This record gives sequence, C-alpha cells and structure tokens, in this order.
Amino acid sequence: MGSVFLLTLRQTGGRLRLVIMGVLASLPVFFAIMAVRSAQAPSVEEFEGVALGGMLAGSILPLVVLAVAIVVFGNELEDRTLANLTLSPLPRWKIVLPKWFAAVVASGSFMVLSAGITSHVGFNSDWRATLAVTASTAAGVLLYASLFVWLGLRSSKAIGLGLAYIVVWEGFFAGFVSSVRFLSIRHYAIALMHGLDARRFATEPHVGMGATLAVSAVVVVGFLILSIRQLRRMDIP
Amino acid sequence: MAALSPDDAVTAPRGGRAPVIEVNHVSRWFGSVVAVSDVTFDILPGITGLLGPNGAGKTTLLRMITGLAKVSDGTVTVLGEPVRDNPPLYRRIGVMSEHETVYGFMKGRNFVKMMGQLRGVSDLDAAVDKAIRLVDLVDAAHRPMGTYSRGMRQRMRLAATLVHDPEILILDEPLNGADPRQRVHFQSLLRKLAAEGRTIVLSSHILEEVEQIADTVLLIVNGKLAASGGYRAIRAALDKRPYHVMVVSDSPRALAAAVVQLDSVDAVNIDPDGTIVVLSRKVRELQVELPRLAQAAGISLRRVEPLDDSLESVFGYLVER
Repeated sequence: MGSVFLLTLRQTGGRLRLVIMGVLASLPVFFAIMAVRSAQAPSVEEFEGVALGGMLAGSILPLVVLAVAIVVFGNELEDRTLANLTLSPLPRWKIVLPKWFAAVVASGSFMVLSAGITSHVGFNSDWRATLAVTASTAAGVLLYASLFVWLGLRSSKAIGLGLAYIVVWEGFFAGFVSSVRFLSIRHYAIALMHGLDARRFATEPHVGMGATLAVSAVVVVGFLILSIRQLRRMDIP
Repeated sequence: MAALSPDDAVTAPRGGRAPVIEVNHVSRWFGSVVAVSDVTFDILPGITGLLGPNGAGKTTLLRMITGLAKVSDGTVTVLGEPVRDNPPLYRRIGVMSEHETVYGFMKGRNFVKMMGQLRGVSDLDAAVDKAIRLVDLVDAAHRPMGTYSRGMRQRMRLAATLVHDPEILILDEPLNGADPRQRVHFQSLLRKLAAEGRTIVLSSHILEEVEQIADTVLLIVNGKLAASGGYRAIRAALDKRPYHVMVVSDSPRALAAAVVQLDSVDAVNIDPDGTIVVLSRKVRELQVELPRLAQAAGISLRRVEPLDDSLESVFGYLVER
C-alpha cells in the first residue's frame, strides 16, 4: 500500500495545485489576524460564524479537499495509468485506502495548519479551542475526502458536481434548512468542534457529539466502500 | 470465417494441452455500438497474434481478456479462473496496454520497481535489474521517463510487465514506436520467452509484424473472429482473394480486350472515364505480363495501381466470404 500512497502523494503535488491550496488555506489566517487587530474585535459567535463555520468549514475546507481528492483517481483515469495499479494482485481496498489517505494527508496538512493558526490567533492562544477547531477540521478532511474520492471515481464531471455540492448543498441548503444539517459534512465538523470545547462553542444547538461521531464514521466508511465497489465494477481505461 | 484445417485451428487444443485462455461467446457493446460480437477461441502456450485493422475490436477483446473491461455477454477464463474481479490472478499475468502514458516524473528503474512491489516480487532489485536488462535499457534506467522517446517508454513498460516473471503476457500493440533494431530485439525476446513455456498474446494491425512473431493468428474484423489458425492458413486464405488493379492507358478498349486473354486475369471492367479495373488472383504474374502485353500492342501505360492493397480490404474480403 505504501507504493500506492507515495505515488498518489506525488501525483497530487502539482505546483499550481499547491499554490492554490496554500492561498486558500491562508485566507482564514489573514481574516483572524485582521479581526483581532481591528478596533472592534468580533465576538466568539461572530468569529465562529464567519471565520470557522462559513469561511473555513463551509468553503475553504471542502474546496481544498475537492482539489486534491478528485484527482487521486481522476488524473489516473484521464491519463489511463490506473491500469498499472488495477492490473496488480492488490485487493481493491488496498488501492482505494492509500489513495484516500494520500488525499487526506495532502489536503489535511494545509487545512489543519490553517485551522490551527486561525483559531489560535482568533481565540487568543486558547489551546482547548485551538484543539477543538483543528480536530474538527481534520475530521472534515476525512469526511470530504471520502466523498470526493468516490465522486472522482464515479464521474468524469466530478469537479463540477463537487463544486455544485459545496455551493448548493453545503452552502445553501445546509445553511438555511435546519433539518438538512443532519446530512451536511460542514455541520458534522461544526458539531464536533462544539462537542470538543463546549465551554467556548456552546451558543447554538447543533447535532449531538455522539450522533456526529457515529454518522461521520458511517459517511467515511460508506463512501470508502462505495469507492471500492466502484473500482471493482467499472471498466478501467 | 476462413476455412482452416483442424491442425491449424487454434480453437482445438494442440497436443492435448489445456487452453490457457478461454474466450467463450464473448460480446461487448457500448449502447447501440457492438464492439465485439460472439467471439469464441482458446489460446494455448506459445505466441498468438491478434490481428485486425484499427477499430476492429482487438483492444476491447484484450481488455476483456485482462479483466479491465467487463463482457456484455459470454465468459472469459484465464488459467481456468474468471479474470474479472480476480486480483490474485495478476501474479501470473503481465499486461502491457496500448496506452503509452507513463509517470513522467518517475525514473524508469523506479517505475519497474514499483510495479514489482505491487506484484509482490520477492527479490525485487534482482528482478528489476533483470527486466531492464532484457529490454536493453540499462543506460536510461535512472532517467525520468518523461525524457524517454516513444520506443524507450514502450520498452520500459515492457520491463515493468516482465518484472514479476508472469506465465502469461498480454501485449496490446507493443511495437508501436519501436525502430527496426528494437523490433528485431523485441521479436527475439518474445520468442525466447515463449520458448520457456509462456503464453503470449499480442495485438497488431500490421500483417507482417504478426507473421514474423506469432505461431497462431486470430484475425478480428468488425468485432468478429474472421479467421483463426496458423499464419500459413491465413495467408492461403488471403491468396484466394482477387486483387483489383487500376490501369490507365492511351487505348483502354484495346488494352482490355488483350488483358482479358491473360491467364492471370479473372475479369476486366472498363469505367466510363476509360479506366480499366483488372481483377486478378495472380498479381505477381500480372505485374510481369501487363507491361509486355502493352509494349507488344503498342499501348502506352500511364498508371498501374492496386486499388485494395490495404489491410482493411483484405480483412473485409475474409469477413465477406
């Protein structure tokens, strides 16, 4: 599995992609710095709503993960090198898991760093809040990566579909329709953040911690199983 | 299908040996397009050439044999097992697809090594060195594959296909991009591998290429098995086909009247524009007799051109029979 992981990590490391991910990941950090330096610093609720829930979990996190997770299979399907892997005696899960994990590591390294610095700055070096935000971001990376890896394997229009999902589902429906929050990765991440530091993030009722963990596990495992199934059944170009 | 003697037919096990690959009434369609239609054959150890014009369905057939593509109907078994969704079987199969894309950032040796790792090769470094030596690319092994020529890429891909010492080799258009020297080297390598008891299936759209390498030939045209057997049997079937030769002269009617008397000519047609089309099964004799005849009759030949020398027309003839 190490070979597949390292190969995928190398394939996701295009210079342009790294620059885009770096720029996106640094936006919440700049926002946090500007916020704490302004004369009227935002409240915890405002900072959470705009910087964490909106900017980080709602748009930058899924965009960065999308940029990486889509290509772990998508690029190999496009340039027809995936057969190098599927014509090996590896069980299909030993191809899907390292590719998913490579997507998690590649995008997660940017997002965890971004979340850590943003929350550390925004919450005045409150380590518990920093840990809560960083851990929930890491969980978001795992969740989004499992979804987008499957999407990249399932459709040649994965980028468009992924963007539509981020904007329409996570951005619009999950933002305005409360019942949809139970089917929103963004809100799983936010709920986890609340659960990990109820002291600081206890202002708004969200999905419970236990339910969030259970559903998150189901989402990750479910999409990984779907990816393995898809790889077994599809024609490899 | 071209008539072949039972000795030549590849569908019958030779010398009591069990078939290594069994393709049984296999079809594949994409929507309303039928790429492969009800094809049945067995493949035995040795070199089998899958021959056919571009777009005939060779690659689709090979992709189904390797398990990369599913069959719409029928069954494919390799070494007695279904090949589709059966990864352990790939320890015994080496596949080189027609697509020449490589990981451009990766050094040739690292690519072969990675393929060996994926296939669970035990003495990896020795196996990698051996495979690279076999394809004669030792000097270029430490260069990124993005800097390779097309022929070098193909050879390094072949090394990666051979690294786990497979019993079965399936090679789709392996000689694409190879220069004449590389072709000779490749052919001798394949013969050596086949002599060790391996089963090798290779596809090509070039008749001579298959003639030089393959023990048996499967001729695929329009997704169907047009002929199968030893190369000589295929060749004999092709020789029964009348060739069309276009002749332009300054006196078409006089030439047609004289040409039709030749033993090498089956029929003569005159087009309204004065062009003669000669049908002949003995084209070599016609090549000798026609200029002599024209000279004796005082007729000036302006153009003599075979009309259907392409593989497509040859294959088309076999399908229509």
